[in-house]
Amino acid sequence: MSTTTNYDAIIVGSGIAGAIVAYKLGQAGKKVLILEAGPKIPTDRSNYMDTFLKANIKSPESPYPPSTQNAIPSSEENPLGLPDPGEENTPRYTVLQINSWRKPKQSYFDFQQQQDNLKGDSPQANFAYGSSYERIGGGTTWHWLGTSLRFLPNDFKLKTKYGVGVDWPTAANNQDFYDYLVPYYEQATIEINVAGSKVAMDKLYTQFDDQQTFGPNYNYPMPEIVESLVDEEFANNVTSMKIDNEPVYVTSTPQGRNSRAGERRQCAGNTNCIPICPIQAKYDATVTIARALQTGNVDILYQHVVSKVLLDPVTDEVNGVEYITYDTQTGKATGTDTATAKKYVMAAHAIETPKLMLMSATDKFPNGAANSSGQMGKNLMDHIMYLAWGLSKDPVFPYRGPLSTSGIESVRDGAFRKAVYDANGKLIEGRAAYRIEIGNDGWSWAAGDPFTTLGDYVFGQNNSHTNATATNSQGKNLKFNTALGDNSKLFGKELVATLNGIYTRQIRLGYLIEQLPYEGNSVELSKNLKDNLGLPRPKINYQIPADYERNAFVSAKKVSTDIFNEIGATEYTQDPGAPVFYEEEGGKPLTAANFQYEGNNFIFYGAGHIVGTYRIGTEKSNSVLNYRQQSWDHSNLYMIGSGVFPTLTTANPTLTIAAMSFSAADNILEDLNSESASSNAELASVSSQNK
Amino acid sequence: MNNFVGLSAVLTGFAAATIAPAIDPINIKAEYYAKFQAEIGNNLFFQILSDFQTRNTPPGSNQTQEEKNQLIGEAMLAGSNGENYVMSCRKLIFLWYSGAWPTVDGDTTSSQMLSAKSYTQGLAWQVMQSHPMGDSNYRYGYWAKEPADLSGYTGNNN
Repeated sequence: MSTTTNYDAIIVGSGIAGAIVAYKLGQAGKKVLILEAGPKIPTDRSNYMDTFLKANIKSPESPYPPSTQNAIPSSEENPLGLPDPGEENTPRYTVLQINSWRKPKQSYFDFQQQQDNLKGDSPQANFAYGSSYERIGGGTTWHWLGTSLRFLPNDFKLKTKYGVGVDWPTAANNQDFYDYLVPYYEQATIEINVAGSKVAMDKLYTQFDDQQTFGPNYNYPMPEIVESLVDEEFANNVTSMKIDNEPVYVTSTPQGRNSRAGERRQCAGNTNCIPICPIQAKYDATVTIARALQTGNVDILYQHVVSKVLLDPVTDEVNGVEYITYDTQTGKATGTDTATAKKYVMAAHAIETPKLMLMSATDKFPNGAANSSGQMGKNLMDHIMYLAWGLSKDPVFPYRGPLSTSGIESVRDGAFRKAVYDANGKLIEGRAAYRIEIGNDGWSWAAGDPFTTLGDYVFGQNNSHTNATATNSQGKNLKFNTALGDNSKLFGKELVATLNGIYTRQIRLGYLIEQLPYEGNSVELSKNLKDNLGLPRPKINYQIPADYERNAFVSAKKVSTDIFNEIGATEYTQDPGAPVFYEEEGGKPLTAANFQYEGNNFIFYGAGHIVGTYRIGTEKSNSVLNYRQQSWDHSNLYMIGSGVFPTLTTANPTLTIAAMSFSAADNILEDLNSESASSNAELASVSSQNK
Repeated sequence: MNNFVGLSAVLTGFAAATIAPAIDPINIKAEYYAKFQAEIGNNLFFQILSDFQTRNTPPGSNQTQEEKNQLIGEAMLAGSNGENYVMSCRKLIFLWYSGAWPTVDGDTTSSQMLSAKSYTQGLAWQVMQSHPMGDSNYRYGYWAKEPADLSGYTGNNN
């Protein structure tokens, strides 16, 4: 590139975090260069939509390049026709790769081999990581759900309050991190243009003792999104339940989609927030990128893959980033060069960012840039999700409206989070918290509907479990229409009536279980797997090692059954079967996310919340960054995005990513301005000496 | 084409005028017609359509069209027609509902989407009184109210 601009800052990545910092710096008159590994933001989304519409599996990544489905002819070894990540310039992990997580020709991540002789409930079992991300202009917000909840004050103090995980650091003058974030939460809410109910949030925050610190003057830019008939079914009928002493009630979700026409369109209920909102009623980072570019101070270069952060051996400051360019996804690199600026901001999400830092080792920093603590890439987290599904008594008409409009937030905090251990260090009490998302998506996530149930009644199968005589664990009859024979094959009027009866009653709950930070859950560099540019691929180590989280699965299972009973629904949650950890177990396919605990078979799903791999903290020894999101090791290096979170907390991360990015922008501006003030002072002193 | 549409209406339970109106700029029927013929082969294709034509006589004096359709459908799907014949008719149902051509493998079904248009024209979305995911033709807030009656989606009395 050999740019002639003297940039104040280089930002690696154009997702929501990088976009916000670019926008704020550009607004303040600073010159910014964004380097984005993936393709540019399209002028309209019709190509992405077309790819989505044609996709056989409407997975989160389905609209986005490089194409994931039927990239090559399917075969017994590779039934989905997944492309070889080794032949792509910007490969990424996708949820379609989960079931082939131990096949490097299909799955981007390298993996940890299982230990010998694991039992179904062994804490040492390795699993596939459950969540994916995009490497395209605008980043992963292309397929975020839109949920814009704040974290709770207690989420920031898990260690102090409940004896687990770590606390977030305090800000300057020992200020609680939540309080520090409050003004930034307000900025984030405005940038995303969140639709929400202040009344609902006040009620919720009042319930959590002494945590009424939402800020006195806040409100949402848009009124709340109306709740669905599915929401009402829960809200009206779950009125007297408690979970671990916490009251259960339904709260309208603050969400990043327009409830009124504004700068963006009003939500039309396409029920497609993930993978793609066809009308951009839902916020995504392309909105903020456009604002950043409009400042006139921000440049963005696409298809520029940063491959190394360069460190000055004397000052330890970053003095450049190397990048590789390419024209086509599977073509050869077209060049390499270096870009320089005063400040460097890593915003490539929580897997590519630590990968890049680990790739940037020097003699002085042999474990990678910004990694004197050894924490880089550690503490990888995700909300491990428990799904429960059923059929409501009467039609509630799912598959309509945004994918989720409400949740049960009232159980996100409570004394149940306190861990109590016996003398041997075994957990005897306490479990991870969760929020419960109410789905408007029928059984599309849970069971691959509508086509699973369709196949059942056209071909006489029973994958939905509605088409044959059986009872669930509460003794309720599962066959939807008892007048039909088992494995019925229908047509005409009977097919219409049966499908309508089932589809219009489908309900689904998703539990976002808070996973604690564990050093062993980590991103490393693969020793032998590379992408098409020759860069190492990430190796992911991922376990659910502690009873604290596993107890939350037991709770979620029981609570789901209670809720379905309370509303008179029939539960259809299926036993996922026992885990298969080894190839030789009778030819059964290896499982990716199945485990056993206290006699139950569980499967977990990813929430798309990739968190924790370069955390902020109180000390250089136990964290990568200070609370200002500045590297302890390299003073002109900042890292942003969900990788900075010390803990996962009980809410979806994007609003907090945005708030943290606004705070980082302030910190970077402060540092840039204090330097220019001191260099101005130097200049002034030089010129006065010259007089 | 008339026989193909008539057969499709009987098997899917949707009105012919709903899935293939006389003036039909969307014309998904042509895509399905070609796919159905290509997948099952000419002989079986013309056999099925010819059998339908033979069976598709006007309803008797004390018989409704609905009752007649039921009888035609049962005849088309009778085991005596042969396994391949019946399976082909069933795959046609799946095609109309999903927009994708199915592969039935024992207890499971996978499928290949024909086109962007076929996805959005899938009858599964209509039978649930909704819209294809990603292709809403409703307005903000519709999800808080009950949808129109099912007959408004199928074009038949349900």
